[in-house]
Amino acid sequence: MSSIWNNCLSKLENEISSSEFNTWIRPLQAIENEGQLKLLAPNRFVMDWVNEHFFAKIEELVHEFSNGTLDLTLEIGSKVSSFQATAKPVKRPDLKKVGPSFLNKTFTFDNFVEGKSNQLAKAASFQVSENLGRAYNPLLIYGSSGLGKTHLMHAIGNAILLKKPSANIVYVHSEKFVQDMVKALQQNKINDFKDYYRNLDVLLIDDIQFFASKERSQEEFFHTFNTLLEKKHQVVLTSDKYPKEIANLADRLKSRFSSGLPVTIEPPDMETRAAILMKKAAHANIDFSQDVALFIAKRIPSNVRDLEGALRRVIANSQFTGRAIDIEFTKEALHDLILMRDKLVDINNIQKTVAEYYKIRVADLSAKSRRQSVTRPRQVAMSLARELTSLSFPDIGEAFGGRDHTTVINACNRVNKLKETDTKIAEDYFNLLRTLSH
Amino acid sequence: MAEQLPVEFEFRANQTFAEYFPGGNEEIIGELKKAVAGIGEQLLFLWGNTGQGKSHLLHACCHEASLLGFSAFYLNCRQSAVLPPDVFNGLEGIDVVCIDNLDALAGFADLELALFNFFNQHRSNGCRIILSASCAPKVIALALPDLKTRINWGLSLKIQPLADNDKIAALSHKAQQLGFEFTPKAVKFLLTRYDRSLSSLWLALNKLDVASLSAQRKLTIPFLKEVLKNEP
Repeated sequence: MSSIWNNCLSKLENEISSSEFNTWIRPLQAIENEGQLKLLAPNRFVMDWVNEHFFAKIEELVHEFSNGTLDLTLEIGSKVSSFQATAKPVKRPDLKKVGPSFLNKTFTFDNFVEGKSNQLAKAASFQVSENLGRAYNPLLIYGSSGLGKTHLMHAIGNAILLKKPSANIVYVHSEKFVQDMVKALQQNKINDFKDYYRNLDVLLIDDIQFFASKERSQEEFFHTFNTLLEKKHQVVLTSDKYPKEIANLADRLKSRFSSGLPVTIEPPDMETRAAILMKKAAHANIDFSQDVALFIAKRIPSNVRDLEGALRRVIANSQFTGRAIDIEFTKEALHDLILMRDKLVDINNIQKTVAEYYKIRVADLSAKSRRQSVTRPRQVAMSLARELTSLSFPDIGEAFGGRDHTTVINACNRVNKLKETDTKIAEDYFNLLRTLSH
Repeated sequence: MAEQLPVEFEFRANQTFAEYFPGGNEEIIGELKKAVAGIGEQLLFLWGNTGQGKSHLLHACCHEASLLGFSAFYLNCRQSAVLPPDVFNGLEGIDVVCIDNLDALAGFADLELALFNFFNQHRSNGCRIILSASCAPKVIALALPDLKTRINWGLSLKIQPLADNDKIAALSHKAQQLGFEFTPKAVKFLLTRYDRSLSSLWLALNKLDVASLSAQRKLTIPFLKEVLKNEP
């Protein structure tokens, strides 16, 4: 870094508040060259603010420290990130996991934990990587956020690259696609943009629900999509819901997106959640028993990112305290998280959410009625209570109009069986689980 | 032209790790230092009540990053109402990005989406994001579920409030750094009579520093009463 800029920084750090300094001055990057000190601001917002509030002061300091030999300029720009560009005397892991395809190399089929909730999606993804453009084209993977859609997408790309390193593959998030297109339009480079995307061997595009309400981007993507499919080049898409349910998405796109193979990923069941934890812990070389994995899995029912967050907390705490990871320790390490969940997901909350979902009264859940329109929601609510709270069967029965604990056990068994055979019940259950877990 | 942002009063001490009185938060400081150096977690989320030093720690991360030769940026989301979505543009080139009071950004749809985009790009670049909020990531009222799950993915750390004995030690330590003597008796008086949040205590300390300097008086209890007579 320029020593003159360093002097300016030291002076400014003592003259303005930490907030001002760290927001407006610290992110400026300096390049000193041929009588000029060029400051690069990361974006227009920072540049405009610095121009208005600090430029005169900085110019004065530069003049003072350089004895009038340097001119100051300010523009938007960035040097390469130091993490990636410099060799520092600190031991650092391989932070650059991303290649030119924007694929994250850490996401592979090998480290994807398979369970009932995602085995179809994994099998389809694997087939796509084996039979490019022929197996399922497009492949659409849909399901809630944090369940592994992006992992599978990167795994497809990485598997293809292993077999064919020259394959022209790109992973892109839909929002990035939109941003790049807007930039290309502004810079009169839309033809370059079209050529880039329409000549790929494999396009992996994440979260297509973000195309909603963006007509111009939908139009451009529609043509890109058609061109790739006509050439029998592979397209893989992900979405948080089935395309027909995405509001403000053109009908022709909805039907196109669903024209190949749409596969869903559901929230993982408890055993899969525990297996995910075991695998992640093993990957981090952490000693982790199955009991501990089940303990966490039971308390974090929502999605894989939440599970990873909890695991990070346990590992960090164990490394800091030097204590072994057993159930007692895990309870302590996740104390706040568990406390919060118990507070958030209590039996009243479950009853209220289920009643709203099935459009019945909360009181119906505790009443004696045996109408099908009430008994099914009641069984679902009992099963959710068993999964999401630490209440015993008798306690749950008590909360549902003083019913016997065997009624609760029967209800849980019934719902578990129905989830296998009745897609409507399975969908209702997972929707409710998702609502209660977020 | 940039809009006018509200100016917030800030205790103008060096907000570094060395200046932070850790109390029961040594683990948090260790994780932050590792993250900034590039050998720890990529995403950290600090949470806890206001006035416990979250902003101080985020500023300390920026300071530490600069010492190590890394670029850093700090953003306070308390100003979300006047922040444009492009505030996150170009930050993917920054090594350490600290975003304070994230809960204040919740509900600003454009900003949530902009932060989500930044997250996707920044994370794949391998750089570090350090967030803070007054509540846990699980209950932060973000409308964009995709953003929420990404935040939950990181290592969340709850700031432990300082016990009164720690506060006495912290205040005495800070006073010593500012160059005046603050007797344990006077500190105890401050703690029992006024708002005990750390931010209020720092402001009181700053006020006492200025007052004792201009009046050339020691911090006796009568003088302390006089200076702080209008404080809550």
